[in-house]
Amino acid sequence: MNAALETPHWLNESFIHSRDFFDQCPEVRDFQKKQRDLFLARGLPTKREELWKYTDLRFLSNRTFVKPSITMDVVQTIQAKHIQNSASVRLVFVNGLFSEKLSDVSLLPEDVICCDLKTAFKNHAEKIKKFIFENVDTNRFPFATLNAALMTDGIFLYIPKHTTMNVPIHILFANTEKNILTASRNIIVADENAQATILEEHCELGGRDYFTNVVTDIYAQPNSRIYYHKIQKESLDATHIAEIFVNQKHDSLVETYSLALGAQLGREDVWVNLNEHHTESSINGFYYLSENNQHIDNHAQVNHIAPLGTSKMVYKGVLEKKSRAVFNGKIYVYTNAQKTVSRQANYNLMLSPDAEVDTKPEFEIYADDVKCSHGDTVGQLDAEALFFLRSRGIEKKIALQMLTRAFAADVLNSIKNPAILAHMNHLLNEMFSDD
Amino acid sequence: MLSIENLHASIQDDQKTKAILRGINLIVKPGEVHAIMGPNGSGKSTLANVLAGRDGYDITEGNVHFEGVDLLAITPEERAALGLFLAFQYPVEIPGVNNMYFLKAALNGLRKHRHLEPLDAMDFLKTIRSKIKEVGLDETFLNRAVNEGFSGGEKKRNEILQMLMLEPKLAILDETDSGLDIDALQMVAKGVNSLRNAERSIILVTHYQRLLDYIVPDVVHVMANGQIIKSGDKSLALELEAKGYGWIEGSSS
Repeated sequence: MNAALETPHWLNESFIHSRDFFDQCPEVRDFQKKQRDLFLARGLPTKREELWKYTDLRFLSNRTFVKPSITMDVVQTIQAKHIQNSASVRLVFVNGLFSEKLSDVSLLPEDVICCDLKTAFKNHAEKIKKFIFENVDTNRFPFATLNAALMTDGIFLYIPKHTTMNVPIHILFANTEKNILTASRNIIVADENAQATILEEHCELGGRDYFTNVVTDIYAQPNSRIYYHKIQKESLDATHIAEIFVNQKHDSLVETYSLALGAQLGREDVWVNLNEHHTESSINGFYYLSENNQHIDNHAQVNHIAPLGTSKMVYKGVLEKKSRAVFNGKIYVYTNAQKTVSRQANYNLMLSPDAEVDTKPEFEIYADDVKCSHGDTVGQLDAEALFFLRSRGIEKKIALQMLTRAFAADVLNSIKNPAILAHMNHLLNEMFSDD
Repeated sequence: MLSIENLHASIQDDQKTKAILRGINLIVKPGEVHAIMGPNGSGKSTLANVLAGRDGYDITEGNVHFEGVDLLAITPEERAALGLFLAFQYPVEIPGVNNMYFLKAALNGLRKHRHLEPLDAMDFLKTIRSKIKEVGLDETFLNRAVNEGFSGGEKKRNEILQMLMLEPKLAILDETDSGLDIDALQMVAKGVNSLRNAERSIILVTHYQRLLDYIVPDVVHVMANGQIIKSGDKSLALELEAKGYGWIEGSSS
């Protein structure tokens, strides 16, 4: 449908060749080659496409990137990024590449697989091949195809049947370099009646002007429970494009929480398939845009394919200065998905008259016995509440913080793991301490 | 304590300038209780709001000094730190902000302005527990969001609780009595009276004289059309109640 892309630097043969991170695995190489061709045939999305209407990616075609490598010693600085006051299993990636030295998997139960992709191909080839060669719809998810073509590294997490992992798994992606392009792929599987709590965090440790392209696949087998959290606090000149694919079997529960605080351009697509009956899904997002020209775009879709599913989708955001947020949430209810209960909401708080929000809630319903509701607001801070707090002696800055945090509270407060909640709140509070 | 000279204030309404205060003169000395009465639209609440620093009013003329400081030149939080307190006519609901947390932030905000150490958690808890009893609210109100889902009376009691905690030098109560049943009214009066001393002043803005049965004022002012048109002792309030505002408005024009 689009003019084929004139091959950008980051897809030319020599760049691709230099990035052969899986040279021991010819199967991966063939797969990547195919994905590259698919992406080139599709081309970069343009603003003429409904799903990319507000997000301009033209700058990407002229960009050059360098191959990621671990060059800097971050042993000291990475510690500040650990989850505090809680044990955790930690997998650290520096510039997209797994660092065994910085990781700590000592608390991992014996039968749980939690490792980087290269180790997964070496030790669990059979299992990972079932998931990793999945073909996505390139037209709908071009960046998932690009991710496959350029795959740097990532994690494979497999929780076996009847295993509950209470210790949170922290997957930390730290960027230290300029102009790198990382393509991380994470695969999370909770087998029957298993449970896991995951925090995927993207941050900068000196990195500038880089491009993170990440894909996370979540598979919730029957009766399993997955609590997935994501923090995007990239450098404010970086680009972050992410896809999260959730597949749920019957009686499973998946909660996702995405906190977007960084990047100049951030885009995240969450795509949830409720494939069988009695699934429950809770998709949450909070974004805080603090800089001029910052652009955060969230697209989320929940597909009720089978009956008796419950879904909740709540996104909230705060915008400062001349920033722009985009939200497109869609609930799709198939004919067969009777007794679906779904709620969708997007609330925005504008702290500046120059900020802009483009919000589009959608329902597409083909079943006749469903309960669906939605709400969207774009508003300013309550001036009366601000005056009230100040009249009691609370400084304007603190009063603004209190009100903004109160606005965020009902999204974040439903996070069940207290250490992850504290970790996220801490990052959110940092947003207020700058000016 | 407080001196207001020839204060004029207006608001922008439909691109038209509307004068609300038209030359207020008032002096409140330490220890005095003043009642400001008057019909709806006379400018009573505007005066209270201008003193507390609410946005949206243009001060076109006049001066206000509080404790020797040019009050109109400083922010609402600085006014609070100087010891000014406004009990709101319509207290605001603030979902997501815990009442106890808010009170602590307010108290420690004031202490910071006054270069005092923050109150330690135990002392704070002890103080607030005794004060909340005084205003007749259950302790569970401390763990709820500020005013959220409170009844009208509970909101007003919460205002008085804040006043008792913050111990202002000048408390302005903006129609705190309106909409209160007799129990709540007496509780409010008790709270205010407990604060009365030789250094502390109080301005009661009220529509009815009922409150003045419980808080006996030193001076009563009557406002109409943005001016104080008559001042007297507490008997003026009774006279007003008996004869109605028409009596005084008629006699002044």
